[in-house]
Amino acid sequence: MPSDIRVSAEPIDAAALMAALTGQSPDDGAVSSFVGQVRAEGDLVALELEHYPGVTEAALRELSEQAMARWSLSQALIHHRVGRMAVGETIVVVAASAPHRRAALEAVSFLIDRLKTEAPFWKRVHTAQGHYWVEARDSDTAASQYWRDQIAQEDA
Amino acid sequence: MHVRIRYMAALRDRLGDGETAHDLPADVTDSEALIAHLTRSDAAAAALAAPEIRLIRNDRIVTRPSALEEGDRLAFCPPFTGG
Repeated sequence: MPSDIRVSAEPIDAAALMAALTGQSPDDGAVSSFVGQVRAEGDLVALELEHYPGVTEAALRELSEQAMARWSLSQALIHHRVGRMAVGETIVVVAASAPHRRAALEAVSFLIDRLKTEAPFWKRVHTAQGHYWVEARDSDTAASQYWRDQIAQEDA
Repeated sequence: MHVRIRYMAALRDRLGDGETAHDLPADVTDSEALIAHLTRSDAAAAALAAPEIRLIRNDRIVTRPSALEEGDRLAFCPPFTGG
């Protein structure tokens, strides 16, 4: 399966995903990955991820297809968890398999940077006192814009 | 024109939960006119005019301003914060 997209409330086993992805393609010399996990921050008790069923998966699939085409990947994987999770639990795994390392590394960077601003997910922090919504970071917007500009330049 | 509107994440806390049905005046034909219309009955809706607010129309992310059509299902979204 070249594009493996999954959004689910089930816990993500990052090690199992990587085991399934590595050693699979004799043409690929590189498998790269990013694992995002819940960070202990302030008075956080749990992190909750909300999404927009259907639209979120479509957005991830579009990003995956862009990465597949741009870096000639043989496989791209995005598994994102939703619902409530505790410190240390995996939020997202992004991985790419390609003939050479530069393609695999850049594709993973592209996918996680673009995912943060282009796929409808929202983070909410639960504390002992209540909850608050996480605001978008300027640095995330800038990272996503970088790739947008790169692609615009190449397409020009 | 009839549309259904809902608000996602932090916008839901400020503007209300669940999907609401709206019968729009004839001059409300795009997303920005809709926001102005909503603001007339709830001042908090002015927040929707911010450029970083995203719009999902009939299960597709669209750019604003977006033309509206009869029966549209709209969701106003704060900036995405996944990953």
